[in-house]
Amino acid sequence: MGLLSDPEYGSVKWVRILKKVHRPLCFLCYAVALVWFVMLANRDFNNETYFSENALLPGLVTNEFNGEYAAKQYLTEFEQELEEKYYDTEKIPVPWLVAKMSQLHLEVYTHNYTLNYPLGQGQIYKGTNVYGILRAARTPSLEALVVSAPFRPLSSHQKSTAAGIALMLAFAEFARPQKYWAKDIIFLVTEHEQLGMQAWLEAYHGLQSDSETFYTTLGSFWKPGSFGLDLTNFFPGFDWLGSHKKCLNPGQLKARSGAIQAAINLEFHSPKIKYVEVKVEGLNGQLPNLDLVNLVHKLCVKSGIHHSYKNSYSWVRNRNKVDDWVNNIWTMVGMVSTQLAGVPNGNHGLFHRFGIEAVTLEGRDSSDGPAPRVHSLSAANFHRLGLALETVLRSLNNLLEAFHQSYFFYMLPATDRFVSIGQYMPSLCLMCAAMLLRALALWVGVQPTQERSSQAEDPVDSEAKEPGERPPERLSESSNQRVHNRKTIKEKHSDSESEIPGEQDVKEVVQSSDERVANSQTQLNFSMVNVGANYLLVHVLGYAAMNSPVLFTQLGAKYFSLPSEVSVYYGLCVTSAVLVVAAPALPRLLRRGALTHEELTLVNILVLIELSTLCLALGMHNFPLGLAVAALYTPVALLSGVVVRERGWISVWLQRAACAVLQPLGALTAAMCVYSVAVYGGAEGAAAAAGRGRDAAMQAVMFAVADSLIYGNWVFNVAASVLLPVWVVLWQIVCNSVEGPPPARR
Amino acid sequence: MFNSKNFLFFIAVFIETIFNANGDLFNEELFIKPLPPAHLYTYFQFTTLVNDNLSSEHTYLAPRSLVEVLTRFQVDELHFTLTEGQWRHNHWGYPVLDAAPGAELYAWFSSDVENVDTQWKKLSSTLAGLFCASLNFIEDFNTITPQMALQPTGAIPQNPNITSQLRYASLPREIVCTENLTPWKKLLPCESSRGLSALLNSRMIHNTNYHSIGVHTRKVCSSSDCSVVSLEIKQTVALVYDSKIIRTTDWSFTKLFGQGLPGGCPLASSSKVYVDITTNDTQPFLLSPEPEKVLLSQRGGSETKLALYTIKPENKMTTIGAKYISKKDLVLMKLPPLYFNRYVLGYGKEFGGIVTELTNTFWSSIDVVVLQNAPWWLPIQLSSLRINGEASSEMVLARHYSPGRSRQKPYHLELLLRLPPKSATKITIDFEFVFLKWQEYPPDANHGFYVGSAIITANLPTARNYTSLPGTASLFESSINASKPWYPAVFRTNGVMVSLPTPDFSMPYNVICLACTVVALAFGPLHNICTKELVLKVVGSSVTLKQKIINLFKKKKE
Repeated sequence: MGLLSDPEYGSVKWVRILKKVHRPLCFLCYAVALVWFVMLANRDFNNETYFSENALLPGLVTNEFNGEYAAKQYLTEFEQELEEKYYDTEKIPVPWLVAKMSQLHLEVYTHNYTLNYPLGQGQIYKGTNVYGILRAARTPSLEALVVSAPFRPLSSHQKSTAAGIALMLAFAEFARPQKYWAKDIIFLVTEHEQLGMQAWLEAYHGLQSDSETFYTTLGSFWKPGSFGLDLTNFFPGFDWLGSHKKCLNPGQLKARSGAIQAAINLEFHSPKIKYVEVKVEGLNGQLPNLDLVNLVHKLCVKSGIHHSYKNSYSWVRNRNKVDDWVNNIWTMVGMVSTQLAGVPNGNHGLFHRFGIEAVTLEGRDSSDGPAPRVHSLSAANFHRLGLALETVLRSLNNLLEAFHQSYFFYMLPATDRFVSIGQYMPSLCLMCAAMLLRALALWVGVQPTQERSSQAEDPVDSEAKEPGERPPERLSESSNQRVHNRKTIKEKHSDSESEIPGEQDVKEVVQSSDERVANSQTQLNFSMVNVGANYLLVHVLGYAAMNSPVLFTQLGAKYFSLPSEVSVYYGLCVTSAVLVVAAPALPRLLRRGALTHEELTLVNILVLIELSTLCLALGMHNFPLGLAVAALYTPVALLSGVVVRERGWISVWLQRAACAVLQPLGALTAAMCVYSVAVYGGAEGAAAAAGRGRDAAMQAVMFAVADSLIYGNWVFNVAASVLLPVWVVLWQIVCNSVEGPPPARR
Repeated sequence: MFNSKNFLFFIAVFIETIFNANGDLFNEELFIKPLPPAHLYTYFQFTTLVNDNLSSEHTYLAPRSLVEVLTRFQVDELHFTLTEGQWRHNHWGYPVLDAAPGAELYAWFSSDVENVDTQWKKLSSTLAGLFCASLNFIEDFNTITPQMALQPTGAIPQNPNITSQLRYASLPREIVCTENLTPWKKLLPCESSRGLSALLNSRMIHNTNYHSIGVHTRKVCSSSDCSVVSLEIKQTVALVYDSKIIRTTDWSFTKLFGQGLPGGCPLASSSKVYVDITTNDTQPFLLSPEPEKVLLSQRGGSETKLALYTIKPENKMTTIGAKYISKKDLVLMKLPPLYFNRYVLGYGKEFGGIVTELTNTFWSSIDVVVLQNAPWWLPIQLSSLRINGEASSEMVLARHYSPGRSRQKPYHLELLLRLPPKSATKITIDFEFVFLKWQEYPPDANHGFYVGSAIITANLPTARNYTSLPGTASLFESSINASKPWYPAVFRTNGVMVSLPTPDFSMPYNVICLACTVVALAFGPLHNICTKELVLKVVGSSVTLKQKIINLFKKKKE
C-alpha cells in the first residue's frame, strides 16, 4: 500500500535499482524456476514416501487368496463367451456377468445410462454397467470399497481387460465367504470406458440431469438452469443452450452401498503380465491420496509383482546418481504431460472429483513402453495378482476414517519418492514472481512521468492543445477525483521538502487558476474507461469462443455437412484468425484519439497480473498445467512491451513473431505437426506427417471440448475464456505502436 | 445317578407348579427360517407374563431389576433393541420384529407422569447401566416424539394425546457386543444354563451377518373386558447366518450355536422350536430329527409350512439340523410387498440430500407413515422436500414437521403417504452441512457422522413374507392361521453416514506458533525504540567501501 500512496517512491533507492535491474532479474527468476523444477528430481531434493495413515496397517495380514484356478476358469469362459456370442458386437455380455456374480451370491444389478452427444447431430449412445455388491456382515452398509474393471469388446483397439474381469470375479468368489469385511465391496464392470464410469458415479451420487432440488455444478462452469439469457428466442434455428444442460443422463441405480472410501481399477489383459503400471492421474490433474499410491506400490513389492510408474521401474536400480536423476526427471516430465490435458488416464481418474481415492493397476508386457530388461522379468500370474489385490483391499478395509492424511498434491519422481506441494510450488511462484516484478517495474515507470509532466508545464500544455484530444468532460468522475487526491498529497509532501524555492508558488498558481484543466491534463494520457472497455470486450470474446463449439457444430452440419470435429476445429481456426487480424485494431476503434503509451503500459501491467494469477490459480488445482502455461507464456510476457514508433523494427517484429507463435490454437497445431513430422516425417514425408499432426490437433480440440461438456474437464474452458483473451491483449500490445512517452520523461 | 436326575426333575416340576400357581408364565420359542439363496434366520423369543399384581419388591419369573425400573418410572410400554447389521428387506423378507442398526429405545409413560422428559432421561440412564449400552447419550437433542409412526401395541387406556407420553431415540453409532448380551441373558429365568437361551453362545452369535437383541415390555389384557392388565416382558434375539460365511448351506444347532440344546428350561411352560419348511418345495432339505408335527398356516393369502418340535426339560442333548438334498443355486426371490432404501446424495461439503425410496410391489395401494429423524447438525429444510421430484404431491395424506434447534432438538418429519400400486416413490430432502464446535467432533478416528434410520410403518394388505405376531398375541403359535384384514408392521430403513466438514485440528497449534512469532517480531523493535536513546548523526561525506568495512569491525569490537 505504501507503494501506491507514497509519492516519494519514485526517487526511493530500491525503485531506481528495480528500474535498472528488473529485466535481468525477471529472466533470472525464470531460469531459477526451471532449474528448481529439474533439481526436484534429484534424490537430495525430494523425499521418500511413507505411510501417514496408521490405520492402513499394510501387509499385516496373512494372505489367503486361493482363487488362481477360478480366475483361469473365468478367463477362459469369458473369452469363450465373447468369441461365441459377442464377436461382431461391441456390447457388454450382461447376462454372463449377472449370472456369474449371482452365482457368487453377490447382490447383482445393472445400470443403464444415455449420452446425448452434444457435438453432433443428436446422436444418442446407450450403455450398461453391471455391478455386484458384497454386503459386509454386521454393518449397515455405511462404507464401501470399489473394485472395477472396464469392459472392452473384442474389436476394441485397446488391450482387452478380460483378465482383469476374471481376476475381479475370482477375488469376489474368495472374498464373499470372509467374515472380516467391515466395508461393503462393490464389483463393477463398466461399458464404454470412462463414460460408463462417469455415469455410474453420477448416478451413485444422485446427480440427475433434470434434478432441480439438488445443488450441483457438475456441468463444469455452468449450474443447470442458472444461465439467465435465453438465446433460443433470438436464434430459433440453433440449440444454443444445448451445451448448458448436462448431456449425460446417468440414469438410476437400483441399489447402492454407503460412502465409497477407495477404488481400485483393474486393467489386465492377461495374467502373464511382466509388470504393473500404477496409474494415478485423474480428471483435471487431480491425484489420489499419496497414502493409497504408496500402499499399492509397497504391497506390489510384498506380493512379488514388479511395478512401475512412468519411467521409474521397481526392478531397475541405478547405481549412478546422474542416471537416476535423469530418469527421475523423465518420470516427472511424464507425469506433467499426463496431467497437463486434465484427461484421466484410466477409470480411476473420475473418482477423484467425488472425493474418492482411486488408482488403476494396468498390466504391462515387454511390448508396452521402453522398460529396460523387461524380458528377464518373471511373468506374474493370477495367484500373485490376487494376493496383491487381497492385501490392498484388506488394508483399505482397516481404514477408520476417510483418507485425509498424507498428501493430495504431489509429484512422483520415482515409485518410492515424492515431491510435496511445498517443494514444487516455488518453481511456479518464481515464474509468476518474474511477471509480477515486470508489472511492478512498469508501474513505477509510469508514475514519475505524471509527476514531472504536471510539474513541468510546457509539454502538458502543448499536448492539451493538440487537436483530437478528448475534452475533459468525458472523464469519469472517480478517476478525476483520484488524481486530484494524489496531487494534493504530493503537494503536501513537496511543501515539507521545499527543495527548490519558488516552485511551490508556480504549482499553487496552476492549482488555483484552473484546477480542472490541470487535473484533466494529468489524466489525458491515462483513461481507465478506454482500457477497461477493450479489456472487457476481449474477455467477452473469449467467453463467446468457449461457448462456440456447439454453434460451430450445428453451422458446419447445416451448411457444409461437415463432421463436427472438422467444423469445430475450423470454426475455432477462423475465430482465431479473425482475432489475430482484428484484435490489434480494437483498442483504436473504442476511442477517438490516438493510443497513448501510458494506456498500453497499463494494459501491459494488467495482462501481466492476470497471466500470473491465472498460472498460480491453475497451479493450485493442476500444477503441471499451471507450470506449462507459465513456462510457455512467461518469456513472451516478459519480452513484449509497449512498442514505441521510433524503436528499431527488428526487435518489434521479433516480439510479434514470438507472440504469434504462442496463439493457443496455433501453438497446439504447431506442436502436433512438429511432433508428427519428427515421428513419422521420415517415413511419410513432411507434408503427410504435418497433415497427420493437423488431424491430431483436430482430435485434441474435439476431445477437449467433449470432455469439458461431458466430464467437466476445464482445460478447454480455461484456454478459451482466460488464456485466449490474455494472448489477445498481449498481441494488441505488441501490434500497436504508439508515440513514445512525453519528452519530460527522458 | 439315575436317582439324582430323577430328583432334579422332580424339583423342577415342583418349582414349576409353584410358579404357575403364582401366575407367572414363561414361554420360550425359537423360529428358524431359511432365507434363500444364502441366509438363515433364527429368532428366539422368551415371553414372561406377569399375571400377578406388579410390585417392585417381589417378582417370580420376571426379572426384578427390569420390573423395578418399569414401576419406578411408570413405563407403560418399552421397546429396546441393540442391533448390529442391517436387515435386508428386499432379499430376506420381513423379520418378526424389525430393529434399527445400533441402539434404539422408545417408551410410553403412564398418563400420570407429568414431566415425561425427566422420566425419559432417568429411564434411559438406568437402562444404560442395566444393559451396559451407551444409552446415557440420549439427550433432548436426539429425542423425538413421533406423532403417527409408532402406536402402542399393548393395552393402554384410550387417551387422545397418547403420543405426548411417547419418547423415541436411536443411537446408530452404538456397537453391540458380548457385554450387552450377558446382562440381557441375566434377565431370563433360566439365564443361560438351561433352555433355548443356552444356545446363545456369544462367540457364535456375534459371528453372524445380523444380530439383534431386544427387550419389549407392554401391558396385555388379562380379562375379556380389559379391566385387568398384566405385564408382558418379551426378550428377543434375531440372528441371520450367511451360509457362505459358515461355509455350508446345511445347518444344525451345533453349527449355528456351537452346541446342542440341553433340554428346555424347567421353569418354562413350553419350549418350542418352529422351522419354516415352506422353501422345502423349491430347495428340498431333510430335517433331522423328524419334526413332531408339521403345521400348515394360511395367512393372508400366503401359505406357510412349519415344522414343530417341543423341547422337554428332561430331554437329552438335542440337535436339530437340516441337510439339503440337491443344490439349486439360483432361486427366484419373491419380493416383499413393500421395500425401501435410503441413501445420501451429492458430494462435497456444502449441500447434500437424503433420499428414501419406497417400492410398492403389490397390486393395491399401501398406506405408510415415513418418519425421518435428522440430528440437529444435519438441517433438513421442509421447503426442499420433494416426492418424486414434485414439491406438492397427492400421495401425502398428512404431514408433521418439527424443525430442529441447534444443539437442542433434532429435525423430525413424518409423512403419511398412500403408495400407488406397483410404484416406486422417492422422497428427497436436502440438507446443508454445518460446522460443529471443535469440541463436538468425536475425539477418536471416526468414519463420519451417523444419521439414524427412518421408521416406516405400514398396514400391509398381504401377509407375503410377513412373520410378525398378531398385535394382541404373545406367543408365536398364535401367528398360525391368523388372517386379518391387514398386517401392521414397523420397519427401519438403513442408516446413512455423512462426513461433516472437519477442520484441521492442528491449526490452533499453527496459529499459536504464528501469533507468537509475530508478537516476538513486533516486540523486538518496540522494545528497542523504547529503551534506546536516539542520537543525531552528523551527515558527512559519503563513506567509502573500505571505510564501511572498517566500521563494521569497529562495531564488533565495541
